[in-house]
Amino acid sequence: MGTVLEFQHISKYFPGVKALDDVSFQAFGGEVLAFLGENGAGKSTLLKTLNGDYQPTSGTYLLDGEEKHFKSPHQAIEEGVSIIYQERQILLELSVAENIYLGRMPSNGLGVINTAKANQMAQKIIDDFGLPIRPTEKVKNLSIAYQQMVEIMKAYSRENLKVIAFDEPTASLSDAEISSLFEIIRKLRDEGKIVLYVSHRMSELRQITDKVAIFKDGRHVGIFETAKVTDAELIKRMVGRDLGDIYSSLDKEKEIGEVLLDVDNVSSDYVKPVSFQLHKGEVLGFSGLVGAGRTELMRAIIGADKRKSGTVTLNGKKIENRSPKEAMKNGIMLVPEDRKLQGLLGNLDVAGNIDIASLLQNSNALGIIDTKKEKEMAQKGIREFAIKTPSMHKKVLELSGGNQQKCIVARAVATNPKVLILDEPTKGIDVGAKSEFYEMICRFAKQGLGVILISSELPEVIGLSDRIIVMRSLQKSGEMLASEATEDKLLALGMEE
Amino acid sequence: MNEKKKITSIIGGDKIVLIVAIAAVFALFTFMNKNFMTVQNMVNLLVASSLVGMVAIGHTYLIIAKQNDLSPGSLAAFCGVFCAILLNKGFPIIAAMLVTLCAGAVVGLFNSWMVNQIRIEAFIATLVSQTIIRGFAYIICDGKPVAITNQAFNKLGTFRIAGLPVPVWVMIVCILIFGFILARTRFGRSVYAIGGSAEAARLAGLNPKRIVTTCFIMIGMLTAMGGMLFAARMNAGQPAANVNLEFDAITAVILGGTSFAGGVGSMFGTALGIILIQAFNTGLIMVNVDSFWQYVARGALLLFALTSDYIRETRRQKALLEASMKNA
Repeated sequence: MGTVLEFQHISKYFPGVKALDDVSFQAFGGEVLAFLGENGAGKSTLLKTLNGDYQPTSGTYLLDGEEKHFKSPHQAIEEGVSIIYQERQILLELSVAENIYLGRMPSNGLGVINTAKANQMAQKIIDDFGLPIRPTEKVKNLSIAYQQMVEIMKAYSRENLKVIAFDEPTASLSDAEISSLFEIIRKLRDEGKIVLYVSHRMSELRQITDKVAIFKDGRHVGIFETAKVTDAELIKRMVGRDLGDIYSSLDKEKEIGEVLLDVDNVSSDYVKPVSFQLHKGEVLGFSGLVGAGRTELMRAIIGADKRKSGTVTLNGKKIENRSPKEAMKNGIMLVPEDRKLQGLLGNLDVAGNIDIASLLQNSNALGIIDTKKEKEMAQKGIREFAIKTPSMHKKVLELSGGNQQKCIVARAVATNPKVLILDEPTKGIDVGAKSEFYEMICRFAKQGLGVILISSELPEVIGLSDRIIVMRSLQKSGEMLASEATEDKLLALGMEE
Repeated sequence: MNEKKKITSIIGGDKIVLIVAIAAVFALFTFMNKNFMTVQNMVNLLVASSLVGMVAIGHTYLIIAKQNDLSPGSLAAFCGVFCAILLNKGFPIIAAMLVTLCAGAVVGLFNSWMVNQIRIEAFIATLVSQTIIRGFAYIICDGKPVAITNQAFNKLGTFRIAGLPVPVWVMIVCILIFGFILARTRFGRSVYAIGGSAEAARLAGLNPKRIVTTCFIMIGMLTAMGGMLFAARMNAGQPAANVNLEFDAITAVILGGTSFAGGVGSMFGTALGIILIQAFNTGLIMVNVDSFWQYVARGALLLFALTSDYIRETRRQKALLEASMKNA
């Protein structure tokens, strides 16, 4: 039997987030194992734990029966575990051979580097891989695809390579490039390496992987043989069906009013022109893959990124929204996707986080804060959103992820917005807290707010929205009523071929 | 809640350590030189600390906002010379001081422009202005100190109210006012917010660039004020003066519990830090430590401050992680 990689009860905590929760499974040499799961399901965290970038909070992993504790990615590479990331990790100014043998160039006894020998050795690997590049070529002159190949060759050049992991390797490759990447992956597999493969693209998983390991909310759901399982089944495991009942029990009784927000051909450097309308009391879902431009569109609307074209009209009045501050004054608030970097103020307490957007409201003309008003606002937020905290003076990072998120929603709602944009509001939140957010969203709509809900969880978008817009490749690819939407339809519109 | 706990929660556990450290430094120097703990020496100590104190007030804001400023030493010298020249040209005191304060504000504006618009790291950007302003300090006086002939102005450096000279009062009043602004106003809260996460604060409707600009203008004006009072004490504007001023000010701020990680700190802590660093500097002189070794000692003190900042920050992160694991 070949190489075996075994994870035993791996858990990894970050403040407020259980990124990995008791993950145990095995991967075997000579097969390609896919990691499948929604964003925040724990795939990348597991890879980073495996290669020493993170240390597990508890649990361990074994390579060929031997317990390993890599202290750094460097050590992991030395011991035969390499990860090929989306972002290239190579030095553009150096040659192909220099990159492959970085830090271990062949040299003579005096330490003088023998470039000719390195080129020779590199040429052999390049021939092995069947690539039309020269070892002396500077990497910056190569296409993205070949740059990636250099990285793979770098990993491959280690004679003890046992595990090679690919984190969304095809994100920026053309079809032809993808098929040559797959050939290399098959070669690695046939040589008995363990190949781990993270991707969102179903069609790729079918082409290249032997088995699929599914992750959900930091837990390992199970391993399935790719050939024996349907897409629908995989998706079902990935998103989990236990929420089905919750959607049907939600109180969606309400009135959808006139047009509240009219977005006409809005674009920025990061998103192509998109138009849509949002009505009073409506929940408008945005579906699509990560990187499809949903977040970027919202950022352009609220002025977080500079708007390049288009107009935004609120209640029939054209608004500029040159900054999030202006958008807030106009009544549009965003609850951002990246809670840790864009939402939370980790240095402040719960009250500080809830009150921060309402400083103007809670202070007098001299700018002096009315602490009583602040306290009342924080208390109201804690009560209204059932934030579980021993006191409003608790540091916000001490709360669980769901409660942290509630603080940010409470912050947005405290400004009395007309339009509330929720970007992946339930990402990394456990099931119980999720249903609280669902009720919250329905309540907002009932109160007459316009709610925009960006979510990568298909059942969530379908279950909560009145209407759904799908985005793909930085533009709108479809629109439908939620009552007509199915997961298949949304997937078809959202997936890149 | 027992008595001890109450005190700790009012002034914060870190501050207790700091007060103990101050007491230890005072005890040590008193033991080595009995003239250390005299009223006159204490007043001298406060006078000597007044310029560092003014700058440290500004640094408290900047460092909480995750910025920094290395230009105050040059700026204080420049403002001393500049004000001296204006006075000698016959400007009334008030006018000369106002114009110099404006010069300080302009330098602050320039620093924030480099940080906000050209996106240079504050450390490097203000290194640029440090050199440029020092250059101008020499240029405007041809490299020679400018003796101030306006005796009324010079009095500002030494005139005593209730036993304390004017510069000390100015520092105390500034600590109180800017301490209040930091703790109790919209602006102060915004400074903490952008220090925690500038992007999160921006999405919450704040304007980080404007807040950073205001902080830089503030430290520019505080430094200008300090520099002028220093010149009044010396009866001259000296272009070569106040080298390493920012070094002492930053040390005081970090000693006072403000974190380089941003978002954490208080003016009370800075006040204690000012006392500690000045006692340390004055003490070293009074117990006849060789002046070259004083540099080493100051460096060691900053290293100590940074190390304790690091330890505090690591502990904070660890405590948060543990707490959130319990809640997860």
